[in-house]
Amino acid sequence: MLLLKKTFLVCAGVGLVLLTGCASKPPAAMPEQAIVGRSPADPPKNPVIDAEALKAESKSIAVTDIYFKKEGKNLVFIEETRHKTNNNVTSIITPKIIEVDADKVDASALTGGANSSQLPVKFTNLADPKSTTPVISPVDPQASSNSSDSETQSSKKSGYESKMEYGELRYLANPIRGLLIKSGYKVVQAKSTIAMPNQGDEYFDIVKRIKAGDFADANYVLYGVLAEVSVMDNVDDIPGTKSSSQQVTLEVTVDFNVVDTQTNQIVASFIASGDGKEVRIDGKDNNFKASKAKLMKLASLDLAEDVRKNLAAQNFITNNPGSAGYERNLKRRLDDDASTLKVYK
Amino acid sequence: MKMHTKTIHLSVFALSAVLLAACSGPQVRYGDAKAVETVNANYGSTDLQIIAEAMTRSLLQSKAISGSKDAPIVTLADVKNKTSEYIDTRVITDKIRTQLMKSGQVRFAVSVTEMQNQTDELKRQNQSGLYKNSTIAKTGNMQGAQYRIEGSIASIVKTTKDVKDVYYVFNLNLINNESGLLEWADEKEIRKTATR
Repeated sequence: MLLLKKTFLVCAGVGLVLLTGCASKPPAAMPEQAIVGRSPADPPKNPVIDAEALKAESKSIAVTDIYFKKEGKNLVFIEETRHKTNNNVTSIITPKIIEVDADKVDASALTGGANSSQLPVKFTNLADPKSTTPVISPVDPQASSNSSDSETQSSKKSGYESKMEYGELRYLANPIRGLLIKSGYKVVQAKSTIAMPNQGDEYFDIVKRIKAGDFADANYVLYGVLAEVSVMDNVDDIPGTKSSSQQVTLEVTVDFNVVDTQTNQIVASFIASGDGKEVRIDGKDNNFKASKAKLMKLASLDLAEDVRKNLAAQNFITNNPGSAGYERNLKRRLDDDASTLKVYK
Repeated sequence: MKMHTKTIHLSVFALSAVLLAACSGPQVRYGDAKAVETVNANYGSTDLQIIAEAMTRSLLQSKAISGSKDAPIVTLADVKNKTSEYIDTRVITDKIRTQLMKSGQVRFAVSVTEMQNQTDELKRQNQSGLYKNSTIAKTGNMQGAQYRIEGSIASIVKTTKDVKDVYYVFNLNLINNESGLLEWADEKEIRKTATR
């Protein structure tokens, strides 16, 4: 009986040992199954494109300062008197040049106003040869000191000389650069251009400047030519009150083009304007003088806002930086450019 | 004799009571401001209330007001008095404005008659140099009204020996300031007859 009990205990112990051994045995290796009909995905060719990446890879644009061309006119009156006596020739030249505003000259010439009365002749173009015909006066026997072979020749030239002034306004374009930065563009500093003596309209030749490398590696150039600057100072009564309002307004109008530097294609074109206004109640009574600096700042900010609207209207920028439209716009431009072609899966 | 004396005493007492009553002044009592007033056939408080209520209700149902996404900005213009009576028409438009404002469907810009105070305040803040720049209500930021309310009140009066008949017609228009189009118009007629 005791032997039977011991045999049972030994069997139970061996059974437990075997069971423990089975439990710790590693699973049998399964043969690798072949995947049929499926191929593993290619690793992504591009990193994830997020807004920051889009911004980093966005196109660059150079914004020129605002070109201007100012027309001026000089009134010219030259009187030359040649006195010839035997072999001696005496010449007296009396030039007179008055620089005036071109518009006023024209108006004055037409109306016979103050400017026209300054000169004893009507306004003519000096380029016209008829206006510069010399006047040969016969010698007055009494005034010629009894010299029979003397001759006095008098020549009078009068008219206006046109002159053009070319240049760049350096304080209007910065708010525009700011808005392009906000819209996701990299803004490149453009080289300034200096007008040469006797400069012509080739000053506005943006293609020439692009080829000359004035805009580094910018994809686009936004350039504007000043169309008009005007300052208005108006005083009006305020209805229903005893007061009046003085409004001093600076208004600038600029003709803009956006040029693709690779193709020279104009991708956006518009006229934008901005005004800076200062209003003073009863300002007329107090001889109010508006701050020109403030007006210029307000006008440039307003101009930039109008530029933004026009660029958005022509799908060059989106209205809201950071919006879905903004990212889509950047993405569209990247897609359009073969050199930065992306493949999305 | 005794009877006569008693009569005199009573008379003096009655007279004193009458005099005392007279010295105590008029009696004052509050009435219902909305109660119908029919003292005479002239323009009165009930007419004012009827006109203002009718016009407000009609204006709020107009497409220009009820169909607008944002509460449109309106200003009050003149209501001309074409009657032979003195009527302060400003009271009518003010009452209409109050009721419209309470509805929350309309915003009002200052009218011409309120402009002096408005300009004085702007001038004080902007031009006195006394105020902190960030807190100044700046000149040039007033909001223009999209619409203006203007109208007229006219009357026809006929009288006989015993009868006075008055017919009032109050006309109000809502005009789009930009387009000049008449966006809404309504009228309220009132007939009052007084007989002796």
